[in-house]
Amino acid sequence: MNDLCADIGYKSINHYGEQLCGDHVDVVESNEKTTIIVLADGLGSGVKASILSTLTSKIISTMMAEGIPLEECVATIAATLPVCSVRGVAYSTFTIVHIKNNETAELIQYDNPHIIMIRDGSNYDYAKTEMNIGGKKIYKSVIKLCEEDTFILMSDGCPHAGIGTSYNFGWKREEIISFMEMLIPVGYTAKTLSTILVDECNKLYNDRPGDDTTACVVKIRKREPMNLLFGPPSNRDDCDRMMSLFFSKEGKHIVCGGTTSSIAAKYLGKPLRASLEFESPEVPPIAYIDGVDLVTEGVITINKVLSYAKDYLVGNESYEEWSMKRDGASLICRLLFEEATDINFYVGRAINPAHQNPDLPIRFSIKMNLVEELSECLRKMGKRIKVSYF
Amino acid sequence: MKVTVCIGSSCHIKGSRQVVEQLQDLVRENNLGEKVELSGTFCMGKCQQGVCVSVDEEFYSVTPDSVKNFFEENILSVLK
Repeated sequence: MNDLCADIGYKSINHYGEQLCGDHVDVVESNEKTTIIVLADGLGSGVKASILSTLTSKIISTMMAEGIPLEECVATIAATLPVCSVRGVAYSTFTIVHIKNNETAELIQYDNPHIIMIRDGSNYDYAKTEMNIGGKKIYKSVIKLCEEDTFILMSDGCPHAGIGTSYNFGWKREEIISFMEMLIPVGYTAKTLSTILVDECNKLYNDRPGDDTTACVVKIRKREPMNLLFGPPSNRDDCDRMMSLFFSKEGKHIVCGGTTSSIAAKYLGKPLRASLEFESPEVPPIAYIDGVDLVTEGVITINKVLSYAKDYLVGNESYEEWSMKRDGASLICRLLFEEATDINFYVGRAINPAHQNPDLPIRFSIKMNLVEELSECLRKMGKRIKVSYF
Repeated sequence: MKVTVCIGSSCHIKGSRQVVEQLQDLVRENNLGEKVELSGTFCMGKCQQGVCVSVDEEFYSVTPDSVKNFFEENILSVLK
């Protein structure tokens, strides 16, 4: 094992006028050592395509996670998929990325656009072996992973984007590659990269996609620990214990909350300087303590972070806000969503008497729920979360 | 003269942003930039009375509506 991990994100848009997507992405982490990502594109669009692709990706990811050979997985799909009454075939294309020990990636590709792999900032042309399984031409590659390797999986909706409108023959693979080569050095997350790619396709389709369009990005990166302190401990005597545990941890340190930051400043013996820069009307300004990477206000800021986190998991429409702005909530989002892979929360359960005022929209229970909801969202983003209460 | 405005959660909800912005404007209009040092702080422990503002350690409770009066009585008149 090494200290690498995979950041996985994907986004789909539906064929214009369809309620369901005919593409499906499934990610299975069978244990800490193996991750299987399957992108399947069902024949046609709408309900039928959705069933075909969901079945295909579920069957493959589940079987592969159990260590069953590829040949058997493919045979099972061929035998299971319902036959399309119009076309007389059972058909769903698929792309599989099988990451082992965070050391090697096995790519298995059947009829989808080939995976684009970016290494050291430019396109990496990897070797492929052609196999024939049950009459299907399947390409297999085994790649030794390096930090910052990025794999871009697509359904054919991406290279077909803009056919007949923006481009005569769609968005060419070479052009998609140079588009992605330009974006990757910025340091976006896999989710944001896939969002930008699919949004661009949608633009080329003039907001009326002629096919289901999906992009899934797998980015190999180093594990990055992050620590967040939120709220003073319920028992004042625990302050020092909480602070020493928090500050002894490896990685960056974020302190949220007014009282909490005063306690941290006192523990470190450094002054707490609050800024008066209102970067955003909704979020209070940040502050500074030497030795702490970020100091913000508590509940209001975290509440904003939570709403960004919820959006990230669905449409990710607000990434343009939090990826640029400099208010406390956006800064926390960038640290938690983009930089961190392992997040330790240190949550104090003290009740702030000022928050018991019925005029205020803050309650103790809300504060505790915030942490729970936020850690749930971050888990869904693929982060490892540990929450300790004091 | 040091004027500190609380920007903690409770005071934020009660309008500390408007208080800060108005004070910044008033200081600029009266050319007091060299005499008045505006700064922020997290929580003065008197959240019930927010927005909390202190002038050289002296505590005042200010609302976005009363900023102008507060400025004239406690800052402008003292400095002139």
